[in-house]
Amino acid sequence: MKFDFNAALEKLKNTDYKKLAKDFVYGKPHGERRLGDLYEPKTGLYKHREWRGIKDTMYYFNNIWLYNYGMIVADIIKYSKGDLPAVLKGLWRYRWMGQTYLTVMHWFDRGLEGMRGEGLRASAWHYRGIATGAIRQFCTMFRADGNLHGGKHNDAWQHSMAMNETVWGGLFYPWADKYTNVALEMIPYFLTAHCNNHVVLNYIDAAQGIGVPGDNCPMCQAEAGIFILDDVPDYAPFMISVNEACDDSVATTIIQDWLFQGPLCSLGMPMRFSDPLVKQNCMNDIEKVWKFIEEQTGTAPNWDLMKEKLALQNANMRWEWEKWDVAANTNYYPINSVAQALYRIYTAQVGMYDIAPFIEGKVRKIMEKCVDEKINPYPMTRHRAIAWSCAPLYYSNWCTWAYNCWGINTIINMDSLMMDMEIRTDTYEHMLEDCAKYHMEAPMRRMAVGGMDHFLEVFEYMERFHCDMVVMYDQLQCKGAQSMHGIFEDEFRARNIHAIWMPHALPDKRVVPRAEIRRLFNDYMFTVMHEEPLDPSLLDFDDSESW
Amino acid sequence: MRDLKHLIYFEDLLQEANNALVRQAKDEGKLALGYTCYFMPEVLLDLPGCFSVRLRAPRCTSPDMATYYMSNRLCHYARSLLERALEGGYNFLDAQFSTETCVGACRFSEHLEKLPGIINNEGFFVTFCDVPFKRDQNSVDHFATQLQAHVLDELKNRRGVDTSDEALMKAIEEHNEVCRLINEIGEYRKLPNPTITGYEFHVIQLVSLVCPKYLILPYLRDTAEEMKTREPEQKNPFRCRVMVVGSENDDPDFSKLIESCGAEIVCDRYCYGAIESRVPIEVKEGETPLQAISRHYLETSNCARFMPQDEMRLRKERIAELGHEYNVDGIIVVSNKFCAYWGYERVVDSVVIPRDYGFPVCSIEKEYINSASGQLRTRFQAFVESIEIKKIQEGA
Repeated sequence: MKFDFNAALEKLKNTDYKKLAKDFVYGKPHGERRLGDLYEPKTGLYKHREWRGIKDTMYYFNNIWLYNYGMIVADIIKYSKGDLPAVLKGLWRYRWMGQTYLTVMHWFDRGLEGMRGEGLRASAWHYRGIATGAIRQFCTMFRADGNLHGGKHNDAWQHSMAMNETVWGGLFYPWADKYTNVALEMIPYFLTAHCNNHVVLNYIDAAQGIGVPGDNCPMCQAEAGIFILDDVPDYAPFMISVNEACDDSVATTIIQDWLFQGPLCSLGMPMRFSDPLVKQNCMNDIEKVWKFIEEQTGTAPNWDLMKEKLALQNANMRWEWEKWDVAANTNYYPINSVAQALYRIYTAQVGMYDIAPFIEGKVRKIMEKCVDEKINPYPMTRHRAIAWSCAPLYYSNWCTWAYNCWGINTIINMDSLMMDMEIRTDTYEHMLEDCAKYHMEAPMRRMAVGGMDHFLEVFEYMERFHCDMVVMYDQLQCKGAQSMHGIFEDEFRARNIHAIWMPHALPDKRVVPRAEIRRLFNDYMFTVMHEEPLDPSLLDFDDSESW
Repeated sequence: MRDLKHLIYFEDLLQEANNALVRQAKDEGKLALGYTCYFMPEVLLDLPGCFSVRLRAPRCTSPDMATYYMSNRLCHYARSLLERALEGGYNFLDAQFSTETCVGACRFSEHLEKLPGIINNEGFFVTFCDVPFKRDQNSVDHFATQLQAHVLDELKNRRGVDTSDEALMKAIEEHNEVCRLINEIGEYRKLPNPTITGYEFHVIQLVSLVCPKYLILPYLRDTAEEMKTREPEQKNPFRCRVMVVGSENDDPDFSKLIESCGAEIVCDRYCYGAIESRVPIEVKEGETPLQAISRHYLETSNCARFMPQDEMRLRKERIAELGHEYNVDGIIVVSNKFCAYWGYERVVDSVVIPRDYGFPVCSIEKEYINSASGQLRTRFQAFVESIEIKKIQEGA
């Protein structure tokens, strides 16, 4: 194309240099950013990184991107404890590892897109917390893994304990000074699905390939698929399984059990957890698990250590309540919804690990600054939403998109509200009783089983968190949620509540692609809410091949 | 074979939940107590002044209203039950006794509780029991506590039902007589040329679940007596003997379909089948009747929700033992569509049973009401042929 000197001159003349300079220094204001233009078609990769103004761009580059890359390397060195070759071998041996590690920073990018100031900083710390926790877990697995050590079971293997990812890590606190517990499916399936959603599809296909019906929960299918494809590290001499969260989780163990060769102890968590009569059964079963661990390890439980760890966990819970208080009653809560949900579910489930207090310290400082200085990190909020039911793992950052595109700020989500209690440590009996209650109210379970009234608590939480909208996750293969579809519809209508149904299939993006989720959102916002998008470039774009 | 005297009457009783015997018992002032899951011991609902009805939704092929409430991605059985409830088909019920053992059936009961006026019967109530995932003593004690609080106390406090040990013993006695008769009739399936078909037995077993015991007992006694002199066909019309294993199945037409393809069902190890539900209850020395009932139902269930490693393996052994006991040529493993437990259990069964125990397996996923009969017929015919070929090869 021929260069048009006059047109260029005209453009230069008409340029608002003051605005240009302001945008350079502070970044473009929300509404002018056109974040959708940054994507390469299909891949979701960026043509160039987002300019967030000098301060935030520098912060992102140095304190998030560069810092986290550096810390990933440092964490691997730290947690591999001198057995770096095992970690490198693990990259080649396990598909879920080999296809995920490079996508981690893109996972950060997706969740933190468009964010500025304190919101950016606080959310990034939560991402960092999950990343380092995950590294600790897979390094522990690889150091102990017989598959990576020529079939030999080393000392690390002897000192590792395996459990289903829905077994609460706190049950292993009494052995935390000598043994390391790692949830079996949490890294191979759960976190990898967030970082790179392509990985998990292979495992789902494997389960269906041997005849598991496609209508079963894809999360459970994937968990079974890891076993079917022998993509499970052999890192511990025994395993604890659990019936949580639902029927499909129990069903998954039918396959896992046949493929796990070591001793297995199953923990049976009562379904009707609100019934006070179930408590004793649950407490007895937890004690059985402890006895099993003692027998397997030959090591007596250290109850002082348990108490110590629970004290840390309780402090963390109290801090979480402070966060919820700010989120519910002010506009100063700095953590975005995806960071809130993932970090909360991760820490509540895994239990206290070494870096958590450091992360919480950083976030506290930022949140206190927001409250003290009345900083609203999400100033373009039009709607305060609560996200209910279980979230799509392949699009956990939908809420970042919803805020950038429509100004829907997801204040809280169902997964954050599980395991919502302190555990008493004054006596063994109190501690055991509270451990039982804590475990029964686990992620996906606290609301989805034990009676439909638990699920309908959404309306109480809406009020408590001052929300005006529900984003209703519609996990197509979750029978517990699907079987309440009509009741929810009736309640939404009766209460005149705006509810956007978001169909998805947990980790399986093929069932409801991300573009379809956005389309349904857009339809609702245009046709029911009669609103215009804040960033029209985000309405429709193709990220079908994106991580 | 000559038709069984009461078969047509039995078939008629299965046409609707509120059948003639249920209506008769209601007219006599008895309380109709509904349940769906084996883990809700029917014997507790057959206390004096009450009778149990294991709920079915016969002829429900299009549960449209229930699909609004439960979506079309839930077990057809649960949706059909809700549809029937919404149609008014369970208005005779005085209470529903539920367990949270599988999400579909549990949510059905929760809808009965939640949707206003769905059961048009004053005083109707719903109660839920927690059922353990193991059979150890901790689980037995827990189950007994649950049954006491959510079944016996509810019946006593709300409806003044006598729940004393004496009343329980009486119910156990009556229950055991039903078991004895059903087992006696079922034993004829073990004959080389059985004098009862799988379909007939399925019908008899079902009426014993859905009718008041005291009213169905005379018919069962008659049938047991009749069976003693029933002559088999001169030449066995079936080409092989099979066992049906799997999830909920209260559709006798499904049994008829299998048998029309040449496979005689000689053993029914599925939910609503007789293998587990018609084992007599034994009250051991030192046990209270409730403890015995609690232990019995956990011990006899073969539900896929039992989690311990040894239990999972024992389930397969149990199937193989039954296969030998009933001398079957093959096993049909069936799961209802959207049944989480049996979706997985069926897969493992179809791998482990042929590999470890040598029985050919036909793995089937079906709807609650057998509407896809053409496709299933093809599968069963192929299975029967494969068994015949295997027999020929073994003979050679």
